Amino acid sequence: MNLEQIKQLIDMLSDTDVVEFELETPEFKVKIKQGVPQAVPPAQAAPVLAPAQAAPAPNAAPAPAQAPQADNLVQVTAPMVGTFYRAPAPDAEPYVKVGDIVEVGQPLCIIEAMKLMNEIESETRGRIKEILVENAQPVEYGQPLFIIEKL
Amino acid sequence: MFEKILIANRGEIAVRIIRACRELGIGTVAVYSEADRESLHVLLADEAYCVGPAPSAQSYLNIPNIMSTALLAGVDAIHPGYGYLSEQAHFAEICASHGIKFIGPSPESIARMGDKAAAKQTVRAAGVPVIPGSDGPVSDEREALAIAEEIGFPVLIKAAAGGGGMGMRVVYDRQQFASAFQIARSEAQAAFGNPNVYIEKAIERARHVEIQVLADEYGNIIHLGERECSIQRRHQKLVEESPSPAVTPELRQAMGEAAIRAAQAVGYANAGTVEFLLDPDGNFYFLEMNTRIQVEHPVTEMVTGVDLVKQQILIAAGEKLPWKQEDIEWRGHAIEFRINAEDPDRNFMPSPGRITLIHAPGGPGVRFDSGVYSGMMIPPYYDSMFAKLIVHGRDREEAIARARAALHDLVVEGVHTNIEFHLRVLDDEAFRRGQLSTDFIERRKLLSAS
Repeated sequence: MNLEQIKQLIDMLSDTDVVEFELETPEFKVKIKQGVPQAVPPAQAAPVLAPAQAAPAPNAAPAPAQAPQADNLVQVTAPMVGTFYRAPAPDAEPYVKVGDIVEVGQPLCIIEAMKLMNEIESETRGRIKEILVENAQPVEYGQPLFIIEKL
Repeated sequence: MFEKILIANRGEIAVRIIRACRELGIGTVAVYSEADRESLHVLLADEAYCVGPAPSAQSYLNIPNIMSTALLAGVDAIHPGYGYLSEQAHFAEICASHGIKFIGPSPESIARMGDKAAAKQTVRAAGVPVIPGSDGPVSDEREALAIAEEIGFPVLIKAAAGGGGMGMRVVYDRQQFASAFQIARSEAQAAFGNPNVYIEKAIERARHVEIQVLADEYGNIIHLGERECSIQRRHQKLVEESPSPAVTPELRQAMGEAAIRAAQAVGYANAGTVEFLLDPDGNFYFLEMNTRIQVEHPVTEMVTGVDLVKQQILIAAGEKLPWKQEDIEWRGHAIEFRINAEDPDRNFMPSPGRITLIHAPGGPGVRFDSGVYSGMMIPPYYDSMFAKLIVHGRDREEAIARARAALHDLVVEGVHTNIEFHLRVLDDEAFRRGQLSTDFIERRKLLSAS
């Protein structure tokens, strides 16, 4: 994180009533406290959440994406917790690319859990419109992976 | 010390564990089902991962997804809470094989105490009194009658494959025995697919009194006194207290020492509870051992000053127990009330829904352990208990007065609760006199709608 980003972060926070903000990644840790002229009552029933848009946190679960609006778009979500891989092996070609046409039962990706590789198959015949996660990204149950345009 | 712990549970106990981790400076990882996305434990944890759809079997009991999450999040340990995976020995084994510390006893201890019949044999060999009964299933009627006469009536004929109070029949004299035995066998076959029954002494007006034990991984074991949990409906505890009105210091010492022997017999480590039945003559009999932290642990915390969940974490991290038995003192009296989302007018049917307002009571000696906040949904898929109110006073009378004030102070809107039921318990004459037994609710007719 550079000075410019930190300044942006501070500016963003000063528009909110967040009193204390902490962000930690493998690369850095930043903690920002806003001075207040009078005592701020501590958050009561609703816990204070760090603003989700501040900076990408590698382990933050993405908010569940809205189901695609168009009727012919299908979302493929992770059926298990694990690591998402686009190809069967590190040096192999990815299973699918954006624009590819896939058939029912065709493998789209691998989700690896505890050293076991699980091929995730398409349940739709269609065209890959979007790939929503990166190679080697951890995914949780229900996390959107692909958007397929039904054919 | 651990850097990060995954909490394999939900609701108020998950919040409890997160709090203990916070105090110890340990990072927290929550897991949740799709139905619990907005839950308090998810919002409080440092990290949270969805592990499955709403049904527990596919989420909170989903070992592959939970272990996968633990490995991806890089946790050092898993706290299983109570229920769910907390007493599944093979889950403890899986943790061990992945180099993740299971916060609890060893898989062997869990397995040995999990088999209820084997547990009884194990503790009996260690000099712990057990309920007199047949040594296992009895299929011959004459043999069964001989055992019954030796134990003395009344006896219980229990289905070996039953549990949770199902498949039990009381017999008061030998005239009734023959037919009761045959009927019990057919009922067991019909209900559980297994006709095996065994005979046990029926203890009337028994109290459910359990002893909290705490053991480190170096063989040091202490007990933290008893909890009386006799107020139960369908074998679900509703009100628990410590100390028990029926336990003298001498009896506490005897039961405590018996509980420690039971724990030692399986090489126990971490927190555990040994359950006994206490009869009106002061005889106590081993029922079973729960190899986990229990729902009602706060009453013990309030009277001893020991933070049990924090101790669980410290013990698992390799710390020695900081106390000897003589260091443990009991001060005052504590009572816990389980606050459930249920409808008293519909036979206490679960009442899920959105809590539109919750206002927690406070003041001296009042503790509220909750898994919810105003505006949160209580989903229909899980236990109806969403909070616990615990009060502490210098004696039982003060605790009862404090409880009444706190229960009136507590406001929950949006779902039905059993708060009124608890107020009726507090007003009950037998309760105020401490005259408790496991048939308390039926005996005092407290289940009728107000």
